Amino acid sequence: MRSRRIAGADFGALLVALIAGAPFALALVVAGLPADAFLARELAITLPRLDNFVRAVEAAPFPRYFFNTVLVAGLATAGSLLTSILAAYAFARFEFKGRDVAFLAVVATLLIPSHVTLIPNYLTMASLGLVDTYPALILPSVASGFVCFFLRQQFRNIPRTYEEAALVDGASRLQILWLVILPMARPAIAAMAIFQFLTEWTSFLWPLVVTTSPEMRTLEVGLAALYDVAVDDGIVNWPVVMAGAVMVMVPTLLLFALAERHLVRGVAPEVVR
Amino acid sequence: MRAVAVAQPLSLARSLPRLGAGLTPWLHVAPALLCLGVFVYWPVVWSLWLSFHRWDFLAASRPFVGLANYRDLLASDEFRNALERTFLFVLATVPARLLAALFLAQLLLEATPQRRFARAVLFAPYATGGVAVALVWSWIFNADVGLANALLRSFDANGLPWLTSTDLAIVSVAIVAIWKSLGYDVVVFTAGLTAIPREIHEAAALDGAGRFARFRHMTVPLLMPTTFFLLCVMVIDSFQTFTLVAVMTRGGPAWSTDLLVHLLYRTSFVYFEIGRGAALAILLFGGLLLFTWIQFRTIGRRVHYGGDR
Repeated sequence: MRSRRIAGADFGALLVALIAGAPFALALVVAGLPADAFLARELAITLPRLDNFVRAVEAAPFPRYFFNTVLVAGLATAGSLLTSILAAYAFARFEFKGRDVAFLAVVATLLIPSHVTLIPNYLTMASLGLVDTYPALILPSVASGFVCFFLRQQFRNIPRTYEEAALVDGASRLQILWLVILPMARPAIAAMAIFQFLTEWTSFLWPLVVTTSPEMRTLEVGLAALYDVAVDDGIVNWPVVMAGAVMVMVPTLLLFALAERHLVRGVAPEVVR
Repeated sequence: MRAVAVAQPLSLARSLPRLGAGLTPWLHVAPALLCLGVFVYWPVVWSLWLSFHRWDFLAASRPFVGLANYRDLLASDEFRNALERTFLFVLATVPARLLAALFLAQLLLEATPQRRFARAVLFAPYATGGVAVALVWSWIFNADVGLANALLRSFDANGLPWLTSTDLAIVSVAIVAIWKSLGYDVVVFTAGLTAIPREIHEAAALDGAGRFARFRHMTVPLLMPTTFFLLCVMVIDSFQTFTLVAVMTRGGPAWSTDLLVHLLYRTSFVYFEIGRGAALAILLFGGLLLFTWIQFRTIGRRVHYGGDR
């Protein structure tokens, strides 16, 4: 009786996976179809073709978008990790006047939604002459209240004994942070790195607003533009659009598949873990 | 020898705070604070300032207009429409997300390979970009060549105007929103469920409580902190939906999916009415804070975090 119920839930699990994953699989199938077969609804499984991917790259500079996205997401992630690690360590270990107020100010940013900062940040970039540049895409993301908060909690869980031993050996504060704390907090830092990278990779509204030329677009913005043009022209070549979508999704899905455990650790909130 | 080795770290422990005194801590936190100040705090102040001024992008004068932006906005049909559609969208997504996620978390709780796999697949859309998945679903919901209608037709039913009907479009977008975030919700619920000690269930089962009774009287109350956390996240999240409607419907048809942030976007960056857009941003921000505060005062109060009996 019991074993049958368990098998039933496992069957249900596979069904859930099938339904939840179907849109990805279908996008891949459509992306591999010749346009005429798609319109004739011939979903015959032929050898997937790369024509649509080639046509998508001809219609929009996806390699350039890819480069932009990797650069922006990479630098923003590195920046936010650097600022957060430094600050989180100070919040976790130093005692100084104003610490609690400063920490509260960092955490309170979690309450401020990005739509409030959208217009002024655009105006800031405009006044600095940075609209449509990489700094405009990267700078607003080089600090993160969430990453700082998360890492501070993690650092506090590391016993002080290790640092004291290093201090005895004459290590400086930065050496301790680099050689003692970081290696011990590696899983937490990895979780935040992946989380930030994916957040940046999939960010849409800010890059949409702050880029004006096609060469500066990120993958998501470029993909949306490709579709917008097709809609305005009144002809959407779905296999080509799906090929574009697949190209944008594959890196995130690969990264997710490789780092699922790390990522899930990062998003499940402390309070409920 | 041994005594010295123990004594040294102890005395250092007491002197640790002093080592961090002076400028060093501030040098550590300065980069983060500076960046958050320039790109988060200053913008809030500036938004507030902007909301009291009329600023049509290219116009030279930016006169102070007091509360006029707010008054015009609150009186406008497009704001009322966006507010109504956003509330509808929140109602269409939040309860469904809570119920579906609780059911799935319960179904997938045991860590068998199949269930772990299902949890991972469910989470994948959350890790993927909004534009890409919006496009996949735009095809699925396309009235002529989409998968949804192809399936309906294969059962001899009529196709539906998924994204082209003023009634249905918001439902279609809600379906995508639910699909996209369900994996996250399940992960959070799973974490909450795992934290409930097994012994409690075993004891209740011994006392003759059935599966449903245990779920109703034990799992649900013990899960309240998790549910409450998720509820707050979901409400904030739903109120700010932008990408899905921007790509799938552009707010249409007939502005039936013109959610608040979409209205904010087109007011500020299509019509370039910066002051009015800022007023909308401030209203939405204030509304979300108020909503979260109300949730804490009403539901949050009754949430049992345990250990305080």
